[in-house]
Amino acid sequence: MNLIKYFVLNTIETLLRVFPFPCKTGLIKMGNPGTNSPVFLTCNYHLAVERVKRALKGIDCYLLVANSRGINVWCAATGGLFTNHDIISVLKTSGIEGLVDHRKVILPQLAATGIEARTIKKKTGWNVIWGPVYAKDIPAFIKNKFKKTPKMRGVEFPWMQRTEMAVAWAFPISIIAAIAVIPFWPETIFLLILLVWGLACLIFLAFPIYSHRLNSERKRIGFIFFDFGRGGFNLFIWIFFILALILYSILAGDFTWGSILRWGFISLIAILIISLDLMGSTPTYKSGLHEDRLLKVILDETKCNGAGFCDQVCPRDCYRVNRKEQIATMPRVGRCVQCGACIVQCPFNALYFMNPKGEIIPPETIRKFKLNLIGKRLTQTEGK
Amino acid sequence: MSTYILMKILESTPSRYDSGIRILTLGRLDRVYNRLTSHIKRGQRVLDLGCGTGALTLYAAQKDAKVKGIDINSQMLEIAKKRISEANLSHRIDLYEMGVAELGSEESESYDVVMSGLCFSELSEDEIIYTLREAKRILKPRGLVLIADEVTPKSLSKRLINWLIKFPLVIFTHLITQTTTNTVKNLPEKINKAGFLIDSIKLNKIENFIELVGKKP
Ligand SMILES: C[S@@+](CC[C@H](N)C(=O)[O-])C[C@H]1O[C@@H](n2cnc3c(N)ncnc32)[C@H](O)[C@@H]1O
Ligand code: SF4
Ligand code: SF4
Repeated sequence: MNLIKYFVLNTIETLLRVFPFPCKTGLIKMGNPGTNSPVFLTCNYHLAVERVKRALKGIDCYLLVANSRGINVWCAATGGLFTNHDIISVLKTSGIEGLVDHRKVILPQLAATGIEARTIKKKTGWNVIWGPVYAKDIPAFIKNKFKKTPKMRGVEFPWMQRTEMAVAWAFPISIIAAIAVIPFWPETIFLLILLVWGLACLIFLAFPIYSHRLNSERKRIGFIFFDFGRGGFNLFIWIFFILALILYSILAGDFTWGSILRWGFISLIAILIISLDLMGSTPTYKSGLHEDRLLKVILDETKCNGAGFCDQVCPRDCYRVNRKEQIATMPRVGRCVQCGACIVQCPFNALYFMNPKGEIIPPETIRKFKLNLIGKRLTQTEGK
Repeated sequence: MSTYILMKILESTPSRYDSGIRILTLGRLDRVYNRLTSHIKRGQRVLDLGCGTGALTLYAAQKDAKVKGIDINSQMLEIAKKRISEANLSHRIDLYEMGVAELGSEESESYDVVMSGLCFSELSEDEIIYTLREAKRILKPRGLVLIADEVTPKSLSKRLINWLIKFPLVIFTHLITQTTTNTVKNLPEKINKAGFLIDSIKLNKIENFIELVGKKP
């Protein structure tokens, strides 16, 4: 019964993935927790809470749900909607302090772009432990004595998640498209919906095939092309689709240039919309719409002391920390998605962003000003 | 008063908040704040929870009180700072970027008045209970709590009317800012439960806006 409910909710919320889904904040007891039980924390995006709860099944612990305005951890933290204040609030007002003897709280690692472990410690006395990226790794994380393996730190884009993103894009677009054609072209609704879903699935499922061609640093070809111009592969998908369409209509015996033209045009629009923010929909690429994609993380070796906080929070495994020589290096800097987590967490301000003009964006700026929807920090406009 | 939901939009662009809220409330909020702060006496120590751009804070300071304003939104605080210095009241107002959850660091029995305008409706249930408990602790005996906020109407019919007016606005703000404001439920009961005596309550006609004066015994 519960499984069915979980499945149904999961489906509905995946369909509406691009919208926030808030749920109640506060304390949830899992199993029979005692004063020594671990304390986990997550955001109040409903799907996230359900997933964490599922992962925690059979484990005696406390789960704190903090206010992220119903948005998933990564987006909310990076966008300034999931902040230190939200963490402090749930630690102080949920009553957890009276229930456990320790002061250790396990946060999802992706919250590190917006939440500063040091500030939490200073203001509440609680120690932040960066847990795994995905809730499903929590049991293994506990077994591993609350240490993460490198795998638990990385974001991936497996087929499950790709399907989810395809669905998340296809559902709202197909609904809008359907509503748009009802008045003057109602007989195509079904085909149109099929088309949008088909294209979305094709684009996201074929991701590994063309992902190496995506390059967030290369310049956009004109504004409307978005990822389209850079990826280029979507164009192949489109041509492929048109060829299939021609073939089909010839076989079906009702080939007309008019219909090919019409469907060609509609599918092109659909592909454009779906690939509008293709890279932004993936966790392994920076959104092509965000200016931040051109930033580089710079490591100041004179300030670094090898504490390794950066390595703990980097979702792309860019760092190698040499504890003996007490210094970090960035052997895989090319994988960086400019999330800023490492910069926010480094206690010695040894890390910062540099833009293509060679200007430095210091850690304080990155901590204070978060990205808005179109990927701009408010610094420039609020500077005066 | 349901237009208060629109302040969410304004809040996401703090620099437009002030002019926007004035248009939306047609000066009503000014009257409310003026009335509420009339309980403040010269020289008293006042704490303003969720001071935002400082509307209520300024009213209190004009009553010759010493005010501390706290808010979690640093951009709103920047604007408050500017407004305060323009009003030449910087010497009577201190602003801090901190949330209500950090009230534990305030000294016991150190304030004459704890006040809040439109902030309780942004707090979770846990936060409301916690804030009222802390407010009681940091107030001096016979100290006042002054609250102006959106509340959930008691009667079903008024709740319905309220909901009908509000629904389109809720959708609209949700789309733009992806947040919604709530209304406070059972505020007088919560105030009582936290150990305050209620001095006066003023509700508007459709009972969705409250002005409340409570007193620590
Ligand atoms: C609608 S504004 C009201 C501002 C001001 N009192 C006025 O009337 O213009 C509400 C304010 O409460 C603040 N706020 C929300 N949650 C808070 C919290 N937990 N602690 C402190 N302030 C909070 C918001 O940042 C926002 O500035
Ligand atoms: S860059 Fe910062 S966080 Fe990383 S090892 Fe060096 S000092 Fe530590
Ligand atoms: S190195 Fe890049 S990907 Fe890794 S945490 Fe820093 S900004 Fe994020």
